[in-house]
Amino acid sequence: MKRIAALTYAALLCPILPAGADEAFTTNQNGDDISVLDLATQKVVATIPVGGKPAGIAMSPDQGFAYVTSTEGKYLSVIDTAARKIVGKAVIPDTPLGVAADPVGRFVYVAGFYGEHLYKIDPHEEKIVAELEVGKAPSGIAVTPDNMLLVTADREDNQLSLIDTETFTRKAIVKTGQHPFGVTIDAARHRVYAADVESDDVAVVDYQSAQLVGTVKVGKRPYAVALAQDKAFVTNQYAGTVSVFDLNTLQPLKTISVGDYPEGIEASFDGKMIYVANWFSNEVWAIDAIALKVVAKMPVGDGPRAFGLFLRHTP
Amino acid sequence: MIALAQQTLRFTIVLQMMVCLPLAAEAHGSSRQKVTESIEIQAPPCLVWKVAGSFHDMSWLPGVVKTEGEGGDVPDSAHRKLTLQTGAVITESLYKYDAGEMSYSYRIDDVDVKVLPVTNYSSTIIVIPEDGGKTSRVEWRGAFYRGDPNDNPSPELNDDTAIAAVHALYRKGLDSLKQKVELRQKAEATH
Repeated sequence: MKRIAALTYAALLCPILPAGADEAFTTNQNGDDISVLDLATQKVVATIPVGGKPAGIAMSPDQGFAYVTSTEGKYLSVIDTAARKIVGKAVIPDTPLGVAADPVGRFVYVAGFYGEHLYKIDPHEEKIVAELEVGKAPSGIAVTPDNMLLVTADREDNQLSLIDTETFTRKAIVKTGQHPFGVTIDAARHRVYAADVESDDVAVVDYQSAQLVGTVKVGKRPYAVALAQDKAFVTNQYAGTVSVFDLNTLQPLKTISVGDYPEGIEASFDGKMIYVANWFSNEVWAIDAIALKVVAKMPVGDGPRAFGLFLRHTP
Repeated sequence: MIALAQQTLRFTIVLQMMVCLPLAAEAHGSSRQKVTESIEIQAPPCLVWKVAGSFHDMSWLPGVVKTEGEGGDVPDSAHRKLTLQTGAVITESLYKYDAGEMSYSYRIDDVDVKVLPVTNYSSTIIVIPEDGGKTSRVEWRGAFYRGDPNDNPSPELNDDTAIAAVHALYRKGLDSLKQKVELRQKAEATH
């Protein structure tokens, strides 16, 4: 559903958008670089050194820029996705982890893991323009497609913060399971799904009513959630699996074995494929979102986390 | 096991209380490290699994004098306590066990960083058939954060030290496992 929203938006921006070979930009934390993986040829076509232990990633709505957090370097890199080059860098006064780009191409949001702050960044000026105190250990971030709401997973406080983007103030807190990490927006159902690392479940939160509306048991140490075909796909780090559940019934459908320590996960723009970054085994695996079967295994650099939205729709 | 400080058990416990590590918390200020070591063993996988596949028998790992615990090989129920020659104690929990694939995964619940300079450590041991099942390869894989996950760790608690310690532990363990299994294979062949 999120994909449909994203597609509609992309269509508005660039009316002629031929179906190209999409790419995965994996943040390789151990390798200190980014692999650009061509998903059609299933080959790495470029490697971009970023340093500082990259982890989080977001794409600009026009797909022209990737925003990457370096956790130990404490900066946000702005990468020209076509040129495969770093074109800007914003220093963050904390360990930056989760990152999200707004859907209008204006601001980028970064979570400061230790300082309990969310930073609003102008990526063109390469500077912080506002900051907001959220809960402890903010991790994953997501923005709704209408650009009204921003969600942070405050891991150590077992909660989501719901933030009004216009006033940049927190309007609600919703309790989740233990240690929410990755967050994913489902605009059609006005929900956000949070992977609760320590309680092995996914919290389903209605962001309009600011209520927890469901909890779905998944595998060991879930990390992040992707949506396609009215299903949620959840990476389970310790289990080495992807849990699939139905978005309408919230009932489990299948558990699919993947590589070791699967982390970042995202649906292709047409919703037909799910891509999973396997941190330990250094591969991106593709899952057919309809057949629910692994269809490709593609080597990338060392320690891909791909925490966030790491797929690029190529022109 | 590695870099084992010569200390009494009581001293170890006192140290653990003083250090008070946030073991359950994953720290993202530091980044998670990984180590894989492997070894070829001239014995069929089932024999290797017989020696290495019990969660409650770590006698093949040098330095371990006692394995105690409960829960069999059942993930989430199985916990073990390893007592080292020095008196130091490590407690671990099983979270994945696959006899068919011949692998199991566990995490360390509690260890003194003076014994093993890591935090938030999880690990997998797997026996892989080689040469059509006549011989085996064993892989030991670990994922962990350094001993001090905060910024600017001291040298004995940084990434390099953690990685070196885990490499050394796995090397020592796998070399010993090979020796033990191959001796047993020889003994069974001569009977």
